Amino acid sequence: MQLRKYCKLRLGIVTLPLLAFLLFAFHTDAKWAQQPTLSQQAYKILQQNCFGCHGAAKASELDLRTAEGVLAGGENGKVIVPGDAQASRLFQFITHQEKPTMPPGKKLSDADIETLRQWIAAGALFDGFAPLAVEAAKAETAKLPERPFTDAERGFWAFQAIKRTTPPRATLASWNRNPIDAFLFAAMKAKGVKPSPKADRRTLIRRAYLDLTGLPPTPEEVAAFVNDKAPDAYEKLIDRLLASPHYGERWARHWLDLVRYADSGGFEFDVDRPEGWRYRDYVVKAFNEDMPYDQFIREQLAGDEYAPESDDAMIATGFLRLGPEGGGGGERGRQDALDDVITTTSLTFMGMTVGCARCHDHKFDPIRQSDFYRIQAVFAPTRPVNHPLVKPDVVAAHQAETRRIETQQRPLKKAKDELEAPYLKMLVEEAVSRLPEYMQIAWRTPEDKRTAGQKLNVQQIRKTLEDDTLSMKLTDKDIVARMSAEDKQKHQDLVTQIRALDRQKPKPYPTARAIGEMSAKPAPTHFLHRGSADAKGPAVQPGVLSVIGECDFPTPPANAKSSFRRRGLAEWLTNKQNPLTARVMVNRLWQHHFGEGLVRTPSNFGKMGELPTHPELLDWLALEFMNADFGVRNAESATTPHSTLRAPHSQAWSLKAMHRLMMTSQVYQMVSDDIAANVAIDPENKLLWRMPRVRLEAEIIRDAILAVAGNLDRTLGGPCVYPYIDPKLFQSSTKRTWPGKPDDDPSTWRRSLYIFSKRSIRYPLFETFDQPNLINSCERRNRSTIAPQALLLMNNNFVLFEAQKFAERLRKEAGADVAKQIERAYQLALGRAPSAFERTKTAKFIQGNPTGLAEFCQALFNLNEFVYRQ
Amino acid sequence: MNPNCFSRRQLLSKLGGGIAGVAFADLLNRNGLLAQSKSPLAPKPQHFAAKAKAVISIFCYGGVSQVDTFDPKPALLKYQGETMTGVGEVRATMGTPGGLMPSPWQFKKHGQCGMEISELFPHVAQHADDLALIRSMTALSPAHGPALFQMNTGSILAGHPSVGSWVTYGLGSENENLPGFIVFTDHRGGPINGAPNWGNGYMPAAFQGTPFRDSGDPIVDLHPPKGRTPEQQQKWLRLLRELNEKHLDQNPQDSELSARIHSYELAFRMQTHATDAIDISKESAATQKLYGVGEQPTDYFGRQALMARRLVERGVRYVQIFSGGGNFEPSWDAHWDLKTNHGQHCAETDKPIAGLIKDLKSRGLFDSTLILWHGEFGRLPISERMDGRDHNALGFSVWLAGGGVKGGTIVGATDEYGYRAVENKKTIYELHATILHLLGLDYEKLTYRFNGRDMRLTDVHGRVIKEVLA
Repeated sequence: MQLRKYCKLRLGIVTLPLLAFLLFAFHTDAKWAQQPTLSQQAYKILQQNCFGCHGAAKASELDLRTAEGVLAGGENGKVIVPGDAQASRLFQFITHQEKPTMPPGKKLSDADIETLRQWIAAGALFDGFAPLAVEAAKAETAKLPERPFTDAERGFWAFQAIKRTTPPRATLASWNRNPIDAFLFAAMKAKGVKPSPKADRRTLIRRAYLDLTGLPPTPEEVAAFVNDKAPDAYEKLIDRLLASPHYGERWARHWLDLVRYADSGGFEFDVDRPEGWRYRDYVVKAFNEDMPYDQFIREQLAGDEYAPESDDAMIATGFLRLGPEGGGGGERGRQDALDDVITTTSLTFMGMTVGCARCHDHKFDPIRQSDFYRIQAVFAPTRPVNHPLVKPDVVAAHQAETRRIETQQRPLKKAKDELEAPYLKMLVEEAVSRLPEYMQIAWRTPEDKRTAGQKLNVQQIRKTLEDDTLSMKLTDKDIVARMSAEDKQKHQDLVTQIRALDRQKPKPYPTARAIGEMSAKPAPTHFLHRGSADAKGPAVQPGVLSVIGECDFPTPPANAKSSFRRRGLAEWLTNKQNPLTARVMVNRLWQHHFGEGLVRTPSNFGKMGELPTHPELLDWLALEFMNADFGVRNAESATTPHSTLRAPHSQAWSLKAMHRLMMTSQVYQMVSDDIAANVAIDPENKLLWRMPRVRLEAEIIRDAILAVAGNLDRTLGGPCVYPYIDPKLFQSSTKRTWPGKPDDDPSTWRRSLYIFSKRSIRYPLFETFDQPNLINSCERRNRSTIAPQALLLMNNNFVLFEAQKFAERLRKEAGADVAKQIERAYQLALGRAPSAFERTKTAKFIQGNPTGLAEFCQALFNLNEFVYRQ
Repeated sequence: MNPNCFSRRQLLSKLGGGIAGVAFADLLNRNGLLAQSKSPLAPKPQHFAAKAKAVISIFCYGGVSQVDTFDPKPALLKYQGETMTGVGEVRATMGTPGGLMPSPWQFKKHGQCGMEISELFPHVAQHADDLALIRSMTALSPAHGPALFQMNTGSILAGHPSVGSWVTYGLGSENENLPGFIVFTDHRGGPINGAPNWGNGYMPAAFQGTPFRDSGDPIVDLHPPKGRTPEQQQKWLRLLRELNEKHLDQNPQDSELSARIHSYELAFRMQTHATDAIDISKESAATQKLYGVGEQPTDYFGRQALMARRLVERGVRYVQIFSGGGNFEPSWDAHWDLKTNHGQHCAETDKPIAGLIKDLKSRGLFDSTLILWHGEFGRLPISERMDGRDHNALGFSVWLAGGGVKGGTIVGATDEYGYRAVENKKTIYELHATILHLLGLDYEKLTYRFNGRDMRLTDVHGRVIKEVLA
């Protein structure tokens, strides 16, 4: 408590002198070398020895460059207790009293340690942290390059206010029932294209099931629908599917493509994110509960600034931590990570390629380079937080218990080190005697006589032999081997005691990957010339796309630990005047229902994107989306907790209402077949005269196979599963493993959504069938047709296993009669009866072949009809 | 849109790009304007005439020490154990820089050109006059992950298509019964970053590298399971085709559906072609010996090099072989005990690489095949962990040989110690531009539209390294 009071006090003091300092910065700079204050000396030591990792790179979340950073400490807590050097962890580390010893692999000179000791003892003052102030002063005096926008740029369609148009009146009454039809029909009529006829109910139910749940309907569901005489049978079907929990699973996957979700960090270490799935489950839940889209945006961008007490809102901020990590530290690494967040956020929510403006003004769109850095200023203050999903007292108890045990371990570890010391010395001498002569000479030369190079080499020898766990030059085992029987026993006892205490350490409590900030007044963000961290320009204020307008960033409340900049951005995005947000999202829904968006470049509404095929319809849908008063909202979704997050109009921003609107249109219910006359006029089907046929996604092909084989475990949510991957595909590398279970292990029979997405080890079926690369935001999947896909469905063990299961199911459900088996198989796999041709062909294939039935089942999995949605 | 103003290559690239492209190509197909629209890997013409048609890339994963192989530095012995000074900041990735460490190996001049190569590569050295050696290569990152990505995809960040993807995207493949881009990894493990090293990034799956296994079937899921005879499989494929064709009858103009039917025929043929392509038992004893097959320590890499030749011979566009795998000792990442590490890896690869050059020459394939040799970066002239070398991205050696390459060339130089490229400094962008150029592709014109940008292998950078062109 006292400490916190102190911090507040200090922070208050720091900011004011900092401002005052700006005025004198240039003058004082020169005086530095002559009479540096204690703080200035301390700053220099930290700068030279620590900033490499604990600067912009924020290793262990510790940033020693600023007053706030030093006081805040790192992920393991405070590092400085002002006034008490011995109690400060930073001091314990640099004096090598505690591990990890710092800086890694060396020790500060005694003089430097003494300076830091005095500095902490004197209260760890920050008046000398001048270079930052100097830099800020210089940068802020420079002018931000702002190129003016032309009228044409400002007038570009995507930046115009969304306009309400009255749907055109069609002559055919049935086309006026749903405004979507009215718009589309008018366009068709103008071009002389005839709409396709309505599809039969079997086609419709399969289409609706695959679109909304990603699973084929069962024969019983098909029959019930086909025989339902009610006039609203189709509408009831859509409502039922929208209420299915599998709806959330299906549509979460589309969202995860956009936000490049994965369960590991990629790059060299590709570190797993064992609790990453909580974000995935959050998305599923949001879709299932029909969370209003504006709330969905608010929670993901700024859940911590709206509702820090809500676990869901905190989990949602995990959105900001989904990108790859481990590509390099330092300023550049941080810049790349922020770029990734800005790129993904702007593609996903704005349909704008803001990432293109990192190094220069956008080449095609009115996005200034300064816009990029203004938006960067929104995200720059963020830092990762592992949000505990247990009550604070549980966390406190956990920390206390861990500390208690570590305190008990400390003397034991010290005793162990002391016991090992003489043996280690002996082993080191032996190892040195095997080194090249010049190294031995360096070692033997007295310390004060060593040349600079010899000093380096001796330091290296020490580090390598005594300290280096990586190359394992001298291991515990080597040391113990030399010990006397008595010491060996002592050593063994110590190790046993330390380990026993390790086992007593409490198990980690569940956490969510979340985002937080450290202060309501974050450090300035700078414009970077050519995008280079080495070419800092003026400081920038947070902002948005200036071509659309400015954003009023809220003032954080008095006690806030956050800048509320992200909340400002979220408010700007979800403001109904924003011309992009609703258009972009309804277009995405449209794309997944109709194969292509009304704008066929769904994440690029800029100049290099495509123009909307039906601009009035797009606007009409966008307005309906924001203000709709129709729909199928679930009762339970009205009970979601955070009132500040909810739109005032309870029906607004409902995704389910939009699904229902789109799917109950006549256009959605048309057949997919060719009409020669139409092909001649509109070969790309831009007028939507037929329902496009779309290859199912990798995950849905797998899910459909499992469902049809009767093997699908429909459990919702939770940790990921690991189906089998041929080890030859990832090979035994120390850093990459895949604990795959065999195909007959029921734990793997979950939906594809739950398969662990490891960035360096892709599940082959997914990779081959165009699952996006888990690294870039994906607006629209490629749909390629290649031979390896055929090989996989022909020969892969998973497919073969499920075909056998399917065959077993047929024997059980249809008996031994081949004709009945075929009938049932077609109903299960395709939702229809086989044709006479199919009956004859398949019966001939099955009969007289002991494995014929399973092979037939596998053939069904390979049919075009099976892997395409009509 | 007037279809006639598109070249066939543009159309096909559009075809690879999406369903809109497919529909468009479909229309043209029916108008007889576009033959072979079925496969995104159909061969496409070069932008301009160039000799090289295929690439064999040898990736010494972990990072090869330039000062112990292709860039002799007598100063290291002269100043052994002393600090490296006068070269600017010394960056040691793993910390604890030591003094200058002499190479344990001797260098000698080789060939007409007098290229100095160390005794680690006695066989390759015999081909000094075939090599275009760049001693001034630089990379952007001294960490394996980003550096591997940069060497393989041009960007230090993940998510971009690899060079092999760009080349197969640009040129297609000459043999539709085999993947166009094939990858061999080391028996000790694949490189870190995993599959994204040969990934298609944002391109369609057709352009991803296909890893070939070292034993059994080359491709995962290539062959039917035990117990299913070829006759059974053919019968099964016939049934599938008949059912699919019946379905197609209702949509005769859907080229995607017919392409998918066709893909099963390709898959079937791939089973025999892929197996045959790597069946080195069909090679003479003399040829096998040339690659060091059947002897240690060259057998494993030798087999892969020989398979690479067989694949290129069959029209595969891009073959990449990774030497070294996993982490530290099993790769070229000699953080300690450089002598054992590089001694081992060079001994494994020297003879097979020389054998590959000789074999390609004797078959008249050397002029149409581009051979690349490189790691993701080089190593420091100073010691690390007493007898190893740390990463160095500021100056290292790579070489090219074969189609269109001017042999016996040395480009650029590093400083006195081999630390920093100081003369005629080159970047990986330039290396990539040069690779594309040697294959007859204009690195500025080979683009792929993604998220609103025409992406390029070399981004907004690059320049062809003219010095290495014949």
